[in-house]
Amino acid sequence: MTKLNILPLPTFARLGVNCAEREVGAFEREEITVPEGAEQQIIKFVSPCSETIVTVGKNAALKLVMIFADKQRCAARLITTLDDSARLDLIQLYLGGDTVSEIVTELKGCKSAFTAEIGYDLGAGDVLDINLVANHYGRKSTSEIAVNGVLRDNAQKTFKGTIDFRNGSAGAKGSEKEDVILMNEEVVNKTVPVILCDEEDVEGSHGATIGRIDEQHIYYMQSRGIPEEKIYELITRARLLKIIGKIGDEQTEKRIHNTLGWEVQY
Amino acid sequence: MKEKTQVADIDRSLYDFRYDEDESSFLDCGITPEIIREISAEKGDPEWMTEFRLHSLEIYNRLKMPDWGPDISGLNIDNIVAYIRPKKGMQSDWNEVPDDIKETFEKLGIPQAERESLAGVGAQYDSELVYHNVRKEVAESGVVYTDLESAMHDERYAGMIKSHFMKLVPPTDHKFAALHGAVWSGGSFVYVPSGVKLEIPLQSYFRLNAKGAGQFEHTLIIVEDNAYLHFIEGCSAPKYYEASLHAGCVELYVGNNSTLRYSTIENWSKNMYNLNTKRAVVGENGKVEWVSGSFGSHVSYLYPMSILNGRKARAEFTGITFAGEGQNLDTGAKIVHNAPETSSYMNTRSISKSGGISTFRSAVTINENAVGSKSAVSCESLMLDSISRSDTIPSMVVKTDKADVGHEARIGRISDEAVFYLMSRGLDENAAKALIVSGFADNVSKELPLEYAVEMNNLINLEMKGSIG
Repeated sequence: MTKLNILPLPTFARLGVNCAEREVGAFEREEITVPEGAEQQIIKFVSPCSETIVTVGKNAALKLVMIFADKQRCAARLITTLDDSARLDLIQLYLGGDTVSEIVTELKGCKSAFTAEIGYDLGAGDVLDINLVANHYGRKSTSEIAVNGVLRDNAQKTFKGTIDFRNGSAGAKGSEKEDVILMNEEVVNKTVPVILCDEEDVEGSHGATIGRIDEQHIYYMQSRGIPEEKIYELITRARLLKIIGKIGDEQTEKRIHNTLGWEVQY
Repeated sequence: MKEKTQVADIDRSLYDFRYDEDESSFLDCGITPEIIREISAEKGDPEWMTEFRLHSLEIYNRLKMPDWGPDISGLNIDNIVAYIRPKKGMQSDWNEVPDDIKETFEKLGIPQAERESLAGVGAQYDSELVYHNVRKEVAESGVVYTDLESAMHDERYAGMIKSHFMKLVPPTDHKFAALHGAVWSGGSFVYVPSGVKLEIPLQSYFRLNAKGAGQFEHTLIIVEDNAYLHFIEGCSAPKYYEASLHAGCVELYVGNNSTLRYSTIENWSKNMYNLNTKRAVVGENGKVEWVSGSFGSHVSYLYPMSILNGRKARAEFTGITFAGEGQNLDTGAKIVHNAPETSSYMNTRSISKSGGISTFRSAVTINENAVGSKSAVSCESLMLDSISRSDTIPSMVVKTDKADVGHEARIGRISDEAVFYLMSRGLDENAAKALIVSGFADNVSKELPLEYAVEMNNLINLEMKGSIG
């Protein structure tokens, strides 16, 4: 067994969140370089054991979409380095399987920026462990992480999100937010939103809401004649659609809808 | 050049006086079966307790040091004196307490507080209680407040002690719980019968005067159904260059429909390793309220834990941590929701300055059976300079869909907008910044009894020249 997704600063061992252990083979490695001033969009359907190394040059921008649609065992690693005023907009969707995913972003450059929109829809037998780390080195670097997901049946999910303000990252800002909807009494959700701070002049925040759909939302929709089971489906679908809609590629969106078994009018 | 506001280190002059100890009263350093037997004999333990101590020692030798949290490699247990014989037995008359010990507690204001605002007081000096007293009317209501050793030898309470002692915090919990089980000495036993609501607080004060020693007091509180208790714990020690160790243990049993408020102002000296364990179990519709101020210690591991076992049981944790130069304070709380419709709220503040490290660490667990439970966690951290460090490591584990868990945290420095707003109302810049820092700690100070809130404000001791911003 290999220890993966190691939490940068470990916490109480009994919670079982300090690392994930899996049997993994050799990682299939891919390198992506976005040259200075360039803008690129890449859409990847992630293969079962992959490592992606990304370098984004000065004033360059990358929009990276990663879809985890293969409902198999998967271990993935994304390591990105951002230069001055470089930008990574990451969209990730997890649609099932047993997945261990690590995302490390090194915000080395001044005014470098990282956004992450992560969505998951997990059902029977699905296990997901995400370890996201945003290391702020550059002055005025920013990170914004939003995670939205749904857990059904006996799905198990761990999300560890760390914003690490290193000394010298003056003026940096980081925020992370996770909203989880729990749909079955057998689900297990673990959320660990970490902020590490070695610099005075920074702003960091994190928040999490975990639970059922707001009763007021259900009441409102019921008063409009929508049955309860349909309401749950609509609300969870709306959460994922918000992320899917940002991909900006109709073929990819169709493929995701098919994987999810959604019937959508195009 | 921008003038900076100085937030001073905590003023420790009140606590840093000390008296020479007669070292012939010290047992040998280190933790061995012989020393454990010697402690047990000194204290006249019943047989089951001697066995318990030796069993705990075996567990201690088996368990590893924690592999997370602040570095404690500077602590060499072999150099720690686990037990110091008292000069005199425990007294209930203040005049009978030895002069140097009496003077120590008088400087700390303990007798005065007892006269003015407490229902009972216990004072521990090094390894043993030196004074214990409870108001007559409180004793007449059936409340028992005594040292744990006396209670263990009193046939009315011996069974209760045996059935509760280290049942909430078993020696297998972690290495320092095992150490505590082996060498514990002193501490308090409180029993509040059903239906008794004690309006004024009880207080225990722990003072570690000896150099290179450990303090391992055990506090056991049992609050029966429909009762109320406010218990206050204060801790301090003078500063030495040798490491000292505090590995106390607090076990709280809160009955149905009862409330227990447990307030702590911890101001150990900066050579102290504070590896304390506190745990409460709460019955149906009961409530535990932790109010915790952590100011002292070189290193702290402190996470009071609440186990909500009864339907509609509640837990509240309000805490502040102030880490200055040379301090690494790892504090927070743990809450386990173990019954339906339980609720918890955690509200903490951390301040780091002059190279101090403060870490907020928490764990909220909602188990499968805790349907309809709710939990909210709020933590805020303030960095006062760039040589300090502040980390927040919360975790939430939810095992049922019928629960609502919320968490929010913020970290940062003093906001320029807030300073500007206050300056537009006529305050100068330094006064505005000092006011904001003071207000930052307000959530805790307003939860403390007045005299402790004043003490806490004195501890933070803001001055008006030098270095925020």
